[in-house]
Amino acid sequence: MWDEILTFLDPVLQPAFIIGTVKAAVIAVALLSVVPIIVWTERRLMGRFQVRLGPNRVGPLGLGQPLADTIKLLFKESIIQSSADKFLYHLAPAVVVFTAIVTFSVIPFGDSVTVFGQEIGFWGANVNSGILFVFAISGMGIYGMVLAGLASNNKYSLMGGLRSSAQMISYELTLGLSALSVIVMTGSLNLIDLVENQKDIPFILTQPLAFLLFFVAGVAETNRAPFDLPEAEQELVAGFHTEYTGMKFAMFMMGEYVNMVTMSSLVTLLFLGGWNSYGLPLWPILAFAGKVFALLCFFIWLRSTFPRLRYDRLMSFGWKVLLPLCLFNLLVTSVFKVMW
Amino acid sequence: MFEITYDIVVLALGITAVLAALGVILCASPIYCALYLISNMICFALLFLLYHAEFIAAVQIIVYAGAVMILFLFIIALLGGKKEIIEPSVERSAAFSFVFLLFGELLLAAGVGPTRPIEGQLTPDVISAMGSAKAVGIELFSRHLISFELASTLLLVATVGIICLAKFSYSPARRRSQ
Repeated sequence: MWDEILTFLDPVLQPAFIIGTVKAAVIAVALLSVVPIIVWTERRLMGRFQVRLGPNRVGPLGLGQPLADTIKLLFKESIIQSSADKFLYHLAPAVVVFTAIVTFSVIPFGDSVTVFGQEIGFWGANVNSGILFVFAISGMGIYGMVLAGLASNNKYSLMGGLRSSAQMISYELTLGLSALSVIVMTGSLNLIDLVENQKDIPFILTQPLAFLLFFVAGVAETNRAPFDLPEAEQELVAGFHTEYTGMKFAMFMMGEYVNMVTMSSLVTLLFLGGWNSYGLPLWPILAFAGKVFALLCFFIWLRSTFPRLRYDRLMSFGWKVLLPLCLFNLLVTSVFKVMW
Repeated sequence: MFEITYDIVVLALGITAVLAALGVILCASPIYCALYLISNMICFALLFLLYHAEFIAAVQIIVYAGAVMILFLFIIALLGGKKEIIEPSVERSAAFSFVFLLFGELLLAAGVGPTRPIEGQLTPDVISAMGSAKAVGIELFSRHLISFELASTLLLVATVGIICLAKFSYSPARRRSQ
């Protein structure tokens, strides 16, 4: 009798299901534990860029600093404003972190290997229209910020939420259209196919304009300086997360840094050839990680170099400069594709 | 066993979608209405995924749940979404009784016995002989007549409602309360 009842476990106990579960857990844990390392890198690098030392007191090279910060954030009192909408207030940071992690589930970071007769790919899921999935889920991440702005009942938060939604919608167009010119060249929405297509030359050489546009739009999508209008300290206190304290504030930060990693991975996959190492004796996964790390450092370099844009200029830059360039690039690419 | 699990998931998603749709029209706060609409669209995207239509699922999320709904939320945030205060009134109860009358009529219509069966099959040969537009029309007005008429009634009700909200200066209860 028990055997019959337990048959519902049959689909669960298949190797494919177990491998998927383990992969999901590994990716989520790795992604979240990479965040403190990026924060540390950012603070150290920013220190060097600004000719100062940066955190160097806690542990060797200040490596204990992110740990200390985490403990501090965990034990801080969580203050909820009395006039805030409690449900949405708690929902918003969860949405941000959830979408950030789920987006990464379709990002491949290496070729597949065979272990114990099972083929295991270095990706969470090999979705056929993977790049669309990334855009769809990362687009849902905006809701976290808008809801935080709406639920906090604070004018700075509201302004931050409005700004983030307007900015992300505007730059998502550029992001999608510049990715589209690469998709037109390969004829596939699958991220693994895109990397396979770059075996000989990465797309950054054949599509330099698309790379530039994609990267600029990517910086804007992740709300990083110089496009960090939604959380502009001088104008909006801290934007949409003004009212958040402790771990909920940390969740917004986690979401931002995970999004940075996802965006760097996406740029690597689309334009830098993914895990192809082009003759260098590197493991595929190390080649991929190295490219992503270089891009992350570039993000930090941008932050310490450029001043923040004014809001109206940000909008006109997105709609009047980036978008026409994107369309032009797409047109030229399509013409080339049809002619040859 | 797997098929039953699949059916249960599909059914649960469908019920969630219907509940979310009810939430859109029954909720008093516009922000929550928009959120219910988003969850409804996500449910539909998941249903598409279960039917192995990955591309449509992704497009559904990007276009509807992503771009359209964020604009809704944007407008709500700009105008300041306040909760409606619902007061009982004569018009309200009249409208309710009308709606229930329509529902009763619909139930009566559903209770009518079997109608005349549809003759013939729409095979590719038949469709190419008469053109796809005609084929769509035949399919729509025979097999899917009730759902088609329901959808058109829904659109009509929405149109009338919007004209009522926008046009007439004697405002419904929610404007008076401010």
